Amino acid sequence: MEVFTNLAMGFAVALTPYTLMLAVVGCFIGTIIGALPGLGPSNGVAILIPITFSMGLDATSSLVLMTAVYYGAMYGGRISSILLNIPGDEPALMTTLDGYPMAKAGRAGDALVLSGFASFYGAMFATLGLMFLAPMLARVAYVFGPAEYFALYLLAFTTLGGMASNNQAKSALAACLGIGIAMIGVDNSSGLPRLTGGNLHLYDGVDFLVAIVGLFAVAEVFFFIESHGKNSSMGVKLDKVRIPWKDIYDTRWTMFRSSIVGFIAGILPGAGASLGSFMSYMSEKSIAGKDGGFGTGVPKGVAAPEAGNNAAAGGALIPMLTLGVPGSGTTAVLLALLMTLNITPGPTLFTERPELVWGLIASLLIANIVLLLMNVPMVKIFVKILMVPPWILLPGVTMISFVGIYSLSGSYFDLLLMIAFGALGYVLRKLDIPTVPVILGILLGGHMEDALRRAMVISDGDFMYLLSSPITIGLWIAAIAGFIAPMFLRKFLKKPQRVTD
Amino acid sequence: MASDRIFGLVMAIVALAYIASATQIQTSFLSDPVGPKTFPIIVGVVCAISAIFMVLKPDPEPDWPTLRTFGAIIIAVLVLIAYAYALKPLGFLLPTTVAAGVLSFQISPKTKTAILSGLGLSIGLFLIFKYALDLGLVPFPKSWMG
Amino acid sequence: MKTRIFKVLMTGMVLGLGGTGVATAAECIAPANPGGGWDFTCRQISKIMYDIGAVDKPIQVTNMSGGGGGLAFNHVVGERDDDADLIIAASSATSTRLAQNAYAGMTADQVRFVGAIGIDPGVIVVGADSPFKTLSDLLDAVVADPSSVTFAGGSAVGGFDHMKPLMLLQRAGLTDITKIKYIGLDGGGDAITQTIGGFTQAMTGDMSEVVGFLAAGDIRVLAVLTDERVAGFDDIPTAIEQGYDVVAGNWRGLYIPRGVSDETFEMWAGRLQQVADSDEWAEAMTANGLAPFTMVGNDFQGYIDNLVVEIRQMSKDIGVIQ
Repeated sequence: MEVFTNLAMGFAVALTPYTLMLAVVGCFIGTIIGALPGLGPSNGVAILIPITFSMGLDATSSLVLMTAVYYGAMYGGRISSILLNIPGDEPALMTTLDGYPMAKAGRAGDALVLSGFASFYGAMFATLGLMFLAPMLARVAYVFGPAEYFALYLLAFTTLGGMASNNQAKSALAACLGIGIAMIGVDNSSGLPRLTGGNLHLYDGVDFLVAIVGLFAVAEVFFFIESHGKNSSMGVKLDKVRIPWKDIYDTRWTMFRSSIVGFIAGILPGAGASLGSFMSYMSEKSIAGKDGGFGTGVPKGVAAPEAGNNAAAGGALIPMLTLGVPGSGTTAVLLALLMTLNITPGPTLFTERPELVWGLIASLLIANIVLLLMNVPMVKIFVKILMVPPWILLPGVTMISFVGIYSLSGSYFDLLLMIAFGALGYVLRKLDIPTVPVILGILLGGHMEDALRRAMVISDGDFMYLLSSPITIGLWIAAIAGFIAPMFLRKFLKKPQRVTD
Repeated sequence: MASDRIFGLVMAIVALAYIASATQIQTSFLSDPVGPKTFPIIVGVVCAISAIFMVLKPDPEPDWPTLRTFGAIIIAVLVLIAYAYALKPLGFLLPTTVAAGVLSFQISPKTKTAILSGLGLSIGLFLIFKYALDLGLVPFPKSWMG
Repeated sequence: MKTRIFKVLMTGMVLGLGGTGVATAAECIAPANPGGGWDFTCRQISKIMYDIGAVDKPIQVTNMSGGGGGLAFNHVVGERDDDADLIIAASSATSTRLAQNAYAGMTADQVRFVGAIGIDPGVIVVGADSPFKTLSDLLDAVVADPSSVTFAGGSAVGGFDHMKPLMLLQRAGLTDITKIKYIGLDGGGDAITQTIGGFTQAMTGDMSEVVGFLAAGDIRVLAVLTDERVAGFDDIPTAIEQGYDVVAGNWRGLYIPRGVSDETFEMWAGRLQQVADSDEWAEAMTANGLAPFTMVGNDFQGYIDNLVVEIRQMSKDIGVIQ
């Protein structure tokens, strides 16, 4: 099996003391980031990218560190969901539904350990899936020409838009905002500046890291100012932590099913982890039926979304690595990392940089085990970190964001732009306009235009070329369905609201 | 209701301005069939349509914070802008102490904790960035250091 | 770690002292982000120069990306014109952009080109199952019907990869070279993928980009754009053998500021020559698909001048510049 020789090579990269150390450090930082309310995988990874970059780590090391942070944050997200009833990030929202009631019923420790194990199960499942599926999917790229890519980008925008908001017009607006920003700067084909308003700072375009850090991290500060840092005191007590073997055994099929559901949701471009945890929870809820007691603090209600969202997190790496189309907000941030490192994701990544891809996969396997060990016996340490008051945490996050962006470009203009994106992020979120499509637009807008223009060069300007292969037609149908379907399914898919005390 | 309408209207105007400036994009005479104008114009049109939808079918009003909180947010924005300008000429420590202190105060209005977190963050982060992460930060204004 | 902290402390002190007037180690600017070709050039040359003792302190590598190298060029010309301790990584992309006025009107004579010590030979590639068996098959088909073939390359329209088929087709007798269809992708790997997938008919790129695909049997290299066949790829014919007098490769080298003395120029040229002759560089070249190509000092300056003239004429012909 080629997979195993490749994996052996991956472990050779990942098991060097240095890489191993990066993975452990990444897991630790990631769990903290995930656990802290207001910081999740997206903004946590976003503020760390400029800093990693300034440290001058090589591509493999940065990628190992950042994906360890990513997985760590997915694990950590459950801690504040369960103990504070505050999801560290959107995918962890579903975990609050049963996790918090379970904690209030005096089983906080059980809930944390069970969810930690469910996270491990889901993430492990997805990493193995990634290992076997990604190389196969990488071959698929040979049938992807410019027309196919154009349709694929369209699909990513419409499905993400469909899932991210309850209002299609708002997600479309958000995506256009992002794509529109991506157009600013020197046009690749003609070498002439576009839409810069004559401002020299804009000739190189708007740096996606500036936008990401602004929209995700700086905006968060404004939200905390609004709430005056309330809602962050711990409402439940955490006693001795033991391993609830019975709960783990009872939820084995729940975890298995949720991992499959989550993994598939993760692979879909644009859908991602939120959809994964949502679908897993909803399907387990309907399997359990009315007597299942979902929503009152049952173990299955904790295991399902955690297995689902971690499986989706792994699955989302597949379209990101093989096609360069991220499956979630956080993978969009990881894609930004790859682009900063001058790595073009795509089928050639697997043939040209096997040490990078397989080193990454091996690191993910290791990171998972490290995270399980960290998150079960050491969970109390992370719970302590939740005690960091927001009036230290949020200014700290802001300063880290500033230094990160400043050390990248050394320009006050980028800092001002970041603040502007922070303010924009606040307004957008207030109006329930999703911010992830904006990021996706900035990241992919240029590629989408390039795909269109390349297709038109090949076809001498014949627009029907965009629909010239079965794959393009399929993708267009899926894209349109992905955009329209949620309008009709909304009644059935209404997002459950977080329980309030 | 009103918020969505206002925002939709603003975005529609922005989109129209965007389309207008897209039509002004220079083209070189070696150009592909699509050229550098078409795609930005398409994006502007979709944006305008979505914005008009927001005006026609607004969602329920979000809970806006009180005017006072808004004031606090605007102060925070102004402090951050000042911080962006101050970072290069004044070095890391002073502006960071002030900016972190003000933000801390905005989140939890206690003077003592605000000053402490400002000082603690600026010194602590400086040590981490400079010595653990190897970033080139300047602690004080250049003129102080001869 | 200890030495690193020490180094940081030292750097901090030096910065704190105002920077000027204190003897510092030389600096190499890579005008792009880490990971690309320029970064590779800076890091390898700096490391080897120190390892073989050509310089007595390690050369510090700085990344200054922006404007396709234009930001660094502007910085050197505008602010460091007499800095004797500064070298900047350069490649064919540098000379192509200078020829096309892509650096805001700055010209190649505003700096001094020290030399090149390796070259990534240009290649023309088709898919393994392509009907084009020789370079003539392909070029004749384009001459007969330019819209029947789309070339894919890893550089933008008007970039160096685009120039290669233009030069070839000009030699093949195509008069209106603006008719040639070319799409620029994000790197040579993508360009090959598109060609293997049949979306484009031919790929134009560098040898290092195609080695992996060649080994896998996915592609056929129709021609390599060098004077002689490349060692290790002896069965690939050159374009010259097939009757098209085109030599094009992506050289890797350095430039330094204009305002330095001739002694400084000779000093850097000498150091670069030492790197070129070292075993370490030979190893680095093999590992990265580069062919030997050493041209140091005044010869190289002449080579650049000719290259700039040809690319400028070509760019005018296709209308990339006026």
